[in-house]
Amino acid sequence: MKLNINIKGKKRIIEIKEGNGRIKVKIGKKEFSFKDKNGKEDISVAQTSIPKKKFSKKEIKAPIAGIITKIFVKEKQAFKKNQKIVSLSAMKMENEIVSDFQGTIKSILVKENQKVKEGDILVILE
Amino acid sequence: MLLKKYKSVSSTSIVAKKMNYKPWTVIWSEEQTLGYGRKNSSWFSPKGGLYFSIILPKNTIQDLQTLTILASFVTAKIIKENFKVEPFIKLPNDIFINQKKVGGILTENIIGQDVKFSIMGIGLDTNIEKYPKELENIATSLKIETGKQVNNEKILKQIVKEIKNQLKIISK
Repeated sequence: MKLNINIKGKKRIIEIKEGNGRIKVKIGKKEFSFKDKNGKEDISVAQTSIPKKKFSKKEIKAPIAGIITKIFVKEKQAFKKNQKIVSLSAMKMENEIVSDFQGTIKSILVKENQKVKEGDILVILE
Repeated sequence: MLLKKYKSVSSTSIVAKKMNYKPWTVIWSEEQTLGYGRKNSSWFSPKGGLYFSIILPKNTIQDLQTLTILASFVTAKIIKENFKVEPFIKLPNDIFINQKKVGGILTENIIGQDVKFSIMGIGLDTNIEKYPKELENIATSLKIETGKQVNNEKILKQIVKEIKNQLKIISK
């Protein structure tokens, strides 16, 4: 069985094979082999080999390292879907970060002109 | 490539952001009344210059960053090939000839959980003949440097074609 899975933006081909009482899982060039003790029992391989994506809808994180150039919202402010929340200037680009849903700004953890790293939490939503 | 030509707009990137055009649609205007660069600096955009914005296909932010740098190289290469001048690139994305700025590139991304939309705006001073005093010593045009009239549409098409090629290479 071959699966095409997108992990962190990269396409991965995962191949699962059965034979000789073992289950083999091939990811790219790496191969993992699991022993099937009873020869019949199913072993859950997928749960251990594919990390769950940690996506929180309630936070806006920096998608890339850069400088916060503008904050368009205030704490306790209601916002609509696709509304501009912050603008982040990365070395080569200007990035407008917008909301994916409507809600209220719970807190803003950054200031304008502040440097941020990739993955830093910028704004908490509710 | 779908080319949409305007006589005058605020900024080709502003127009591109408001429209729901398909990737590789190019917004081209003869002049911009509110042309801008990075960090909201203004971009002198009178008639004669080449101002356009490319709507890019969805991509990862890392590939978009690479593509922006490649776009500077592409633009500089096309200037060199067509006009036999020696441009140099001031990273991240400005192009100079004889220590004066001749072009700039600004990529803007609209990001939600992932990149929703990206626009690459390119401003190239092609046929500008005169600059205001405050820009005289820092900006130049291909016409001033070479004495030749530039075919803006030809250069635009060459740049877009080459950026498309570069994106194919990096996203393989």
